[in-house]
Amino acid sequence: MMRDLHDHLKTRYRLGDLAERRGNLAFVDVERADLRALLVELRDVHGFTHLSLLTAVDWIEEGRFQLTYLMNNRAANRTLGLRVFLDRADPVGDTIHDLWPTAATYQRELREMFGIAFPGSPRVDEEFILEGWTDMPPYRRDFDTLAYSQQTFSDREGRETHDPRSHMAKKLYPEGQR
Amino acid sequence: MGSLRDVLSPFTAWKHVIETPVTIRNPIGREAADGYRGFHQNDIEKCIGCGSCEVICQNAAIDMVPVSDPVDGDSGLRPKIDYGRCCWCALCVDVCMTGSLTMSNEYTWVDTDPDAFRFIPGVDPKPWDDLEKGYRREGGRVLTGAERVEMGELAPEARIDNFDEIVAGYTREQAMIEADRCVECGLCVATCPAHMDIPDYIAAIREGDYDLGLQILYETNPFSEVCGRVCTHKCETACAARHEGDPIAIRWLKRHIVDNVSEDRRLEIVGTPQTLPTRRKVAIVGAGPAGLTAAYDLARQGHAVTVYEAQDKPGGMMRFGIPEYRLPYAALDRDIAVIAAQGVKIETGVRIGHEITMDRLRAENDAVVLSIGLHIGRSTRIPGTEGGGVETAIDLLRRITAGEEVPVPKQVLVIGGGNVAMDIARSMARLQKVKHGAVGVTVTALEDFAHFLADREEIEESLEEGVEIIDARGPQEVVRFKSGNRKGEVKGLRSWAVTSIFDDKGRFAPQYDQGDERLHPAEMVVEAIGQAADVSILGEDLTEALDWNRGRLAVDVAGRTSEPWLWAAGDAVHGPDVITAVADGHRVAASVGAMLMAMGEVAR
Repeated sequence: MMRDLHDHLKTRYRLGDLAERRGNLAFVDVERADLRALLVELRDVHGFTHLSLLTAVDWIEEGRFQLTYLMNNRAANRTLGLRVFLDRADPVGDTIHDLWPTAATYQRELREMFGIAFPGSPRVDEEFILEGWTDMPPYRRDFDTLAYSQQTFSDREGRETHDPRSHMAKKLYPEGQR
Repeated sequence: MGSLRDVLSPFTAWKHVIETPVTIRNPIGREAADGYRGFHQNDIEKCIGCGSCEVICQNAAIDMVPVSDPVDGDSGLRPKIDYGRCCWCALCVDVCMTGSLTMSNEYTWVDTDPDAFRFIPGVDPKPWDDLEKGYRREGGRVLTGAERVEMGELAPEARIDNFDEIVAGYTREQAMIEADRCVECGLCVATCPAHMDIPDYIAAIREGDYDLGLQILYETNPFSEVCGRVCTHKCETACAARHEGDPIAIRWLKRHIVDNVSEDRRLEIVGTPQTLPTRRKVAIVGAGPAGLTAAYDLARQGHAVTVYEAQDKPGGMMRFGIPEYRLPYAALDRDIAVIAAQGVKIETGVRIGHEITMDRLRAENDAVVLSIGLHIGRSTRIPGTEGGGVETAIDLLRRITAGEEVPVPKQVLVIGGGNVAMDIARSMARLQKVKHGAVGVTVTALEDFAHFLADREEIEESLEEGVEIIDARGPQEVVRFKSGNRKGEVKGLRSWAVTSIFDDKGRFAPQYDQGDERLHPAEMVVEAIGQAADVSILGEDLTEALDWNRGRLAVDVAGRTSEPWLWAAGDAVHGPDVITAVADGHRVAASVGAMLMAMGEVAR
């Protein structure tokens, strides 16, 4: 069924190959320019009325972000994921809050956690869960969580750790330590 | 000043005042979901203290702290968690190499002392220690691959009629994948007799920096090309990865580094001694792994080193014991070339005690190192071993390497269950295949298969090559023809079934079931039950003067004998093993070097 839908849509939209995960779950790559029209058609014509979620993946090696729009057809119990790619150096997405009001919340979260802009989305630049955050958006893969944690929080006094290898050298063959 | 909304909005909450609250009056005591990530549990017996949990923790919440003495494969450290920092992400559980670390579904705990929230799960008792519910990693270890990259090998039919090297070596892609499985915990380093910097050279492979890898290898082992092929790889028995999968192929990765650095480049990287000659002289007896390692170290300290070797080529057991299909001579020669390039003089074909005496070595040198190996094959001395048709494995292996003609009958019987027994069985099988077109080798061992001495791979590969192995058989007599035109020739081996090998005090005292007797037909019997050192080279006076320990030269921890000018190292002192001999070579070189340095100070 998903394949029929894919065949039907790809005559009018620039779609990638259908990646089927299960019988009722599949993903497809979409051009950013086609996204809005495709979402509207999926919602109004094909019964994908529910936006299950909107999230992002940081493909740092490829220099791009992936937005994933998970669309659900409740009646047919089917989910289709649309994947749109943005330039990581200048990540700007298109707001769809007018299609699904909940999208505004997702977009606000993505703005905060990945630094992806959604111009025109309500309250998109307001803090979401990170209060007073000044660092790089923390879901970006080049964000060093450990370094941030060490800089931000102090250790309790008396903490001491041991490297297994040098600890064993010290205990088992102190004369052989170099 | 806030906006008007900021002032008014608290009052809007009043509209909910008559609704049923969604919060719970007393959350303490409310059980979390079954798979909830709560306070950690650690199975302290299963944990090996590898510290992967500490390394992966993105909040620096974990310290590794000593709770017991380290042993092979267990650092004795255990994770201590600071719950002021833990964010309950469970990466530590997901990466755990043994599956010992899990999380209970207990999440509520009140205490006014912040330090109470730092404890060692599994060591400091907690009420949730035995809870069944909580977060468990599904399936086995997944963050680091559990399966070793398979090594390409010659198929049995392609290798049985030749002495070509069996193991192909990893490609760069294969090595990268295998190196990627290593968590760099370093538990292996203590177990390696030479304490090689294993995690560091594996990391060099991952970085694709083979020059660095080679440099790291040479810091601890001038026989890395040899050891990359034939090492007993005890390190792999201590590998954290073995607990839920295959250990890292440490030996093959070592070989991979050497395979990827040309001979010329190797000499460039290792270089030559960067110190002025000390004018101190050291003589080393025996050009095996211990002697040549000591020579390498001492030459790099600036001393003049001469190694005397009885055979016409250096290498000792690496050349004359280990068959070519496991260790090609060219590989050994490349390792030795780097050692010779340090200015080490290797005098081959010189047997101490004949051409040159120990007295003369002592007179002409500041120190002497004995690294004479174990080159005399022991005999079972059962009836019938005297006379033709009975050989020792070690002598046959040496003759095969030297290119001498050896007898190759259609049916050969080998007594012994160690690696030397497998070496001679497989060598004879190859010669038989060439000469007769068929393999006819039977190995009888005292041990049963569950307690076999030979490496598992050796047993498997022997069987693949058509060698018959019969376990738990005790040799009783080499049976000879009593009449006819073959009178006196070997007819076979009579054996009894073994019921036990050691007595209740752990002493070697094999017991047999005499009712279970067999005659294994063979035209030649090869004894591979162990080797002894040829100490006759010492001469009577020195033998008398030295301290001995159960037939072996007694040495201190530094390898020094009871004579202040004489050190001993290698198989003759510590039993047969290349990497142990390398470690021994380093040890005596350090001791000899310290003594020579002290001499220099006095002279000044």
